[in-house]
Amino acid sequence: MMKKIISLIKTDLNITYGLSALQYKFNNKRDRLQTILIAIALLSLIPTYIMIVSGLVKIYEAYIGIGQKTMFLLNGFIYAQLIVLLFGFLYVMSKYYFSNDLNVLVPLPLRPKDIVGAKFVTLMVNEYLTSLPIILPFIIIYGTRGKEGLLYWIYSFILIIFLPIIPLALASIIVMLFMKYTNIKGRKDLLRVVGYIILLIALLGFQFKIQSIAQQSVLKGEDFFLEMAQDSNVLVRKLGLVFPPSLWAALSLGNYSSVGGVFNLLLFVGTSIAVFWIMIQLSEKLFFEGLIGGLEVATTGKHKKVKIEDLSRSSLPFLSIGLKEIKILLRTPVYLLNSVLGVLILPLVMVISTTMNGKEVLGALSMLTEGNSHIVSLVGIGIITMFGVMNCVGCTTFSREGKSFWIQRVMPIKARDQIFGRILSSLFVQIIGIISLLASLAFIINIDFENIFWITTLGLLGSVAMTELGMVIDIFRPLLDWDNPQKAMKQNLNVLIAMGIGALYLGGVGFLVYKLFKTGVNILAIYGIMGLIYIISSYGLYILLKNLIIRQFSILE
Amino acid sequence: MLKLQNLSKTYSKGTVKAVDSVNLDIAPGEIFGFLGPYGAGKTTTIKMIVGLLKPDSGRVFINGINVWKNPIEAKSQISYVPDSPEIYDKLKGIEYLNFIADMYEIPKDIRQERMEKYLEIFNLKNAVGDIIGSYSHGMKQKLVLISALLHEPNLFILDEPMVGLDPKSSFQLKEIMRERCDEGKTVFFSTHVLEVAEKLSDRIAIINKGRIIALGTMDELRSHAEERESLEKIFLELTE
Repeated sequence: MMKKIISLIKTDLNITYGLSALQYKFNNKRDRLQTILIAIALLSLIPTYIMIVSGLVKIYEAYIGIGQKTMFLLNGFIYAQLIVLLFGFLYVMSKYYFSNDLNVLVPLPLRPKDIVGAKFVTLMVNEYLTSLPIILPFIIIYGTRGKEGLLYWIYSFILIIFLPIIPLALASIIVMLFMKYTNIKGRKDLLRVVGYIILLIALLGFQFKIQSIAQQSVLKGEDFFLEMAQDSNVLVRKLGLVFPPSLWAALSLGNYSSVGGVFNLLLFVGTSIAVFWIMIQLSEKLFFEGLIGGLEVATTGKHKKVKIEDLSRSSLPFLSIGLKEIKILLRTPVYLLNSVLGVLILPLVMVISTTMNGKEVLGALSMLTEGNSHIVSLVGIGIITMFGVMNCVGCTTFSREGKSFWIQRVMPIKARDQIFGRILSSLFVQIIGIISLLASLAFIINIDFENIFWITTLGLLGSVAMTELGMVIDIFRPLLDWDNPQKAMKQNLNVLIAMGIGALYLGGVGFLVYKLFKTGVNILAIYGIMGLIYIISSYGLYILLKNLIIRQFSILE
Repeated sequence: MLKLQNLSKTYSKGTVKAVDSVNLDIAPGEIFGFLGPYGAGKTTTIKMIVGLLKPDSGRVFINGINVWKNPIEAKSQISYVPDSPEIYDKLKGIEYLNFIADMYEIPKDIRQERMEKYLEIFNLKNAVGDIIGSYSHGMKQKLVLISALLHEPNLFILDEPMVGLDPKSSFQLKEIMRERCDEGKTVFFSTHVLEVAEKLSDRIAIINKGRIIALGTMDELRSHAEERESLEKIFLELTE
């Protein structure tokens, strides 16, 4: 039995982090670029991280000042375990219930607790990656500043190893109960969207919190950290009472040289093991039952009696293509998140970060736009035009067809209808972006009818050109061989290429407009020139696209 | 109705000849069976007929229209049912049918009548309001068949149509194929199941390693082969 479980864990670890997969990734050009991009993204986070850590040193000193050293450690354990819990929900949901290997594992002669146990171990690795960057600075700062002894470091090691167990086991139990007793099982797509949104909100909230802390610390100087240490004491103490394991961990480390320290350490380790054991026992009863149906796509349950005469509608081919694109965009979580939610949330983020920056920035902003509201229009048009490529609709439109692409190719569809229909679906997303942008702008500055008119008309016109640009790239090298829609949109290099070229194009237009604006050309003339550029490029791209579609539809294999 | 002239296709930069100078001339009102073992070139040939794979050389005519010169005109005469039903999982059955009908520009009342008829025949009426992702393989297959019949094509092309169909639907499909020929329309289908080809086809072509090695009615094929009882024997003898 033990052999089986170990083999299961090994395989699962190998699938998730394995060398064979890494090797494959590096041999594959597309994936190699992606890996490099991720590495760059991670490296770019380092400065922020260093800033946070140096802030922590000051907080440590503040705690020393008020004579509550242990509270500093409690902060670390509370935050680390909370984050593990939060991520735990998402990880457990996808790993236990929606991963592809379930089709293989469930029919094998394995007990539910074997599967859950193995998956738990893999998730532990994930959670170390999340918890270490949080807890390590706390432990290291406390240990080196206080010149703590060897026993401190041994205790720390044990605590770090056990840290993710309780929150992850709790997340497992809650998710398993949730999956068994709710009717949400088949609604994988819905769960996924909700999960992403929660994660996004958490990340943005964290980002803004850090930003405001950084700004206030600059404004208030050294006193700030003392204030913060005192303020957070109440909250952290409360949290510690609600979730005692963090308290035990902090107490054991804070009193490592006394009996109380040993006692708290044993309490922490013992509780971790107990909670894990309870979770494993519960999994025998809960896991399979929550699973059944999780692999299927839910239908409406009982079949509705369908009246064909009510449901048969006819529309022009291009409208029908546009409608089909919109339906699929809205019903596929990955597409929804990257296209619609993207253009919806970006303007909101802009507003929040501006208001977070305090009254000074807002004041400066209204000073700048006061009496010259055309700047608002011009910037708005620029943002919407950029959304035209950032919404990913145009540059993945053929890739998204995937293995169903044959349908488009065997039917007598004119290239014109293909282009119009697909542009239509992009404009649908753009309209959502425009509404979001206008609403967000209205929140921080005064906008008038003229702003709305120019941003809408010229923004949409610019979006047409941007969508066509994306489509040119996508029909030239469509990514059709995928089994997971992630690949068609999130992992599609065409998106990056289109964004690069789109940014260059927009940069050019922007530079021209800036020069014209500076030399005092009449604003209506500037709008006219912008419109003309957009119309000419749209038409040129249309002709190119039409020929490319006819050619590619016949030579693709 | 369907004419193939010296149709050829090679894969792997010219090293593998998938289809080698295939000539066929199929008359209106004919059910034509295209027979061959796995990997013989059946699907490649069909893909070149329907516009999914560009031939290296040779021409395809549908009703006198060159498929690769006037694709839109040619495609409005045909419909194609592939061997595996890869369709839009996120659409509902009825949305898919309406989408296909829009592409062939079928007027509302006509499409409604045909949808009723075929959904009834293939017993899919109750599922048509559900998302395609919830369908079984067989249901998807049937939906593709229905969508292919909506515009009453002059040439109906099916790649391994009986695979994955339940016995009743498979029977119904054979009936439909017969009916269409009685109306003077043409059916071209590939199969590796000899029995299907033998019972259904007016004429049969056997393809092996990219070349047509036998062509004719059942009787004509019998007269060529040494072992004359069944298509199975003829097939085994020829494709050896």
